[in-house]
Amino acid sequence: MTPRRPLTALAALGFFCASCATPPPPDIQPGETPSEETVEGGLWMHMDRAEESLKTSGRVVQDPALNEYVRGIVCRLGPEYCGDLRVYIVRSPGFNASMAPNGMMSVWTGLILRSENEAQLATVLGHELSHYVKRHSLKRWQDLRAKTDGLMAFQLATGMVGLGLIGSVAGLATYGSVMEFSRANEREADRGGLHFMVRAGYDPKEASKIWARLIEERDASDEEKPSLFFSTHPQSEERQATLAKLAEEMGGGADYDVGRERFLALTSQWHAEWLRDELRNRQLERFHVVLDHLSEPGGNQGLVLFYRGEAHRLEGGEDARQKALEAYREALRFDDAPPEAHRALGLVYWSMKQGEEAHAAFANYLEAAPEAQDRQMIEYYLERTP
Amino acid sequence: MTSLPAKPAAGSFGRAARRLEARFALPLVLAAMVALSGCVTPPKALVSTQAQPPQSGVSKILIMPPDIELSEVTAAGLLEPNAAWTKAGHRNVDAALSQALAASVSQVVRYAKPKDGSDFEPAHVQAVKLHNTVGFTVLSHKYVPALELPTKKDRFDWTLGKSVASLRKSYDADYALFVYLRDSFTSAGRVAAIMFAALFNVHLQGGTQVGFASLVDLDSGDVVWFNRLARQEGDLREPEKAQEAIDLLLEDVPL
Repeated sequence: MTPRRPLTALAALGFFCASCATPPPPDIQPGETPSEETVEGGLWMHMDRAEESLKTSGRVVQDPALNEYVRGIVCRLGPEYCGDLRVYIVRSPGFNASMAPNGMMSVWTGLILRSENEAQLATVLGHELSHYVKRHSLKRWQDLRAKTDGLMAFQLATGMVGLGLIGSVAGLATYGSVMEFSRANEREADRGGLHFMVRAGYDPKEASKIWARLIEERDASDEEKPSLFFSTHPQSEERQATLAKLAEEMGGGADYDVGRERFLALTSQWHAEWLRDELRNRQLERFHVVLDHLSEPGGNQGLVLFYRGEAHRLEGGEDARQKALEAYREALRFDDAPPEAHRALGLVYWSMKQGEEAHAAFANYLEAAPEAQDRQMIEYYLERTP
Repeated sequence: MTSLPAKPAAGSFGRAARRLEARFALPLVLAAMVALSGCVTPPKALVSTQAQPPQSGVSKILIMPPDIELSEVTAAGLLEPNAAWTKAGHRNVDAALSQALAASVSQVVRYAKPKDGSDFEPAHVQAVKLHNTVGFTVLSHKYVPALELPTKKDRFDWTLGKSVASLRKSYDADYALFVYLRDSFTSAGRVAAIMFAALFNVHLQGGTQVGFASLVDLDSGDVVWFNRLARQEGDLREPEKAQEAIDLLLEDVPL
């Protein structure tokens, strides 16, 4: 019977793979919604439910001005799709954004914090918009389904004739192939996003900078480069280089917009909250890079220096404590240093057993924040320092 | 094979996508329930050890919008959501719920979507989300012997908490009935795979019908009664079979 089995398996493979040869769907048209009868309709329904759930999430930033601003950028990039997209700003540290097939776009606050200007934020928003237009969710699902169908047939065939190892190698190959397809989509979305940017008048040279930024953060941390084989996304180096080259080819237009002032006017008031979120994420090496890019003259220097001190304080050790001390002292030279900088300074002095300095710092804290919730705790420290 | 990321929500920068994947993990938990229900004697519906059941003829019961999704099982066992089937499932389950509660002595009201087409009240959506989470917790810790919690051994006292009071206010209801259902059907490819594997005594799972329902006291938020469904038959796309599923699920609901 054995010799017949591979034939059966091949027949099964052909049967499973009836959907393998589906031609790729064309770009989605403005206002288009899929029919309920289609696979795409099913994916939309599923994500509609997810969206219903996201809408009521406490993590979604409700501020009207910020929402209007980010949505405005999306609509400037793709005015024809503006009515089809909903943009949700999700309060979360880290660099991320996502696009669901039904037009639900999520943008993390950590991404806005890492963008230096409107054009850099538009780079990622344009990339996500491109995923929507190119129907990448649908394509990835179809690819995944077809490839796992084929793998199933192959594994059944090889597994049944005792070729388990080949079956598992095939599994790995399928996985790699699914990831490769995903990376191809990401490359397409990078290119598409750049075209949306240029069309909207944003400087395409800004696009590669956001990837340079990610590389800088990753290199600062001890984390290893993710293995390409298992990655849904191309490596940042490749993306940066490709985007830089494409931008070069598109040439420099004198009227290109970067939108730094507008961007900072609307986002810098959120830095205190977003930096606190990043600090809590405890990726301190990455956090220092975030701070490096925010510590420009005229920015929130007191705030940035305070968080520099907080990062050092969390690092621990005598050296870091000295650095923290310096950062807090420096921070307090600026008007925008939060009252907590006094408290942090006091705590560092306290830990160094410098009572007098600690006392002064705690007193300054209560003077700057008379309504502080931890007032009683601070008074306890005050009583125990000269 | 199912460890491959089964997500239609591509196009993200990474972690958010994995977050979305978690949504697809829930049906897998339920599928595991089906597998387990085959070998263990399933416990009957659970009744609260601390809350009072509705008073017959006096209490007013609110039927929450059922959370339903119907999908197809691909050859490799991925679930592909199907909008047309889900729509039919909703229609059939709604009718089945009305039929099942027609004989109830309690006064029954249905949760209504705002007439002006605006979104559901956020607090109400939160209640449904919370019910799903609590329901999965009950499934894990009351129906899977290996996961039994020492502190919950002889009691059933799960609660949605006081936040459900917003439903009580809006509907002047005393209790609410929440229903969660997932129904899946084998694709032609899956049928072929199952048959092929069966030739060699390997069992592959086909479609499953799984879900749970809770009766919740809208004063305390306590889950007064809980039951679950986990089987490899049924079809919510057909009115009679949907009725059968709901009748099974609500078999001994104290209404």
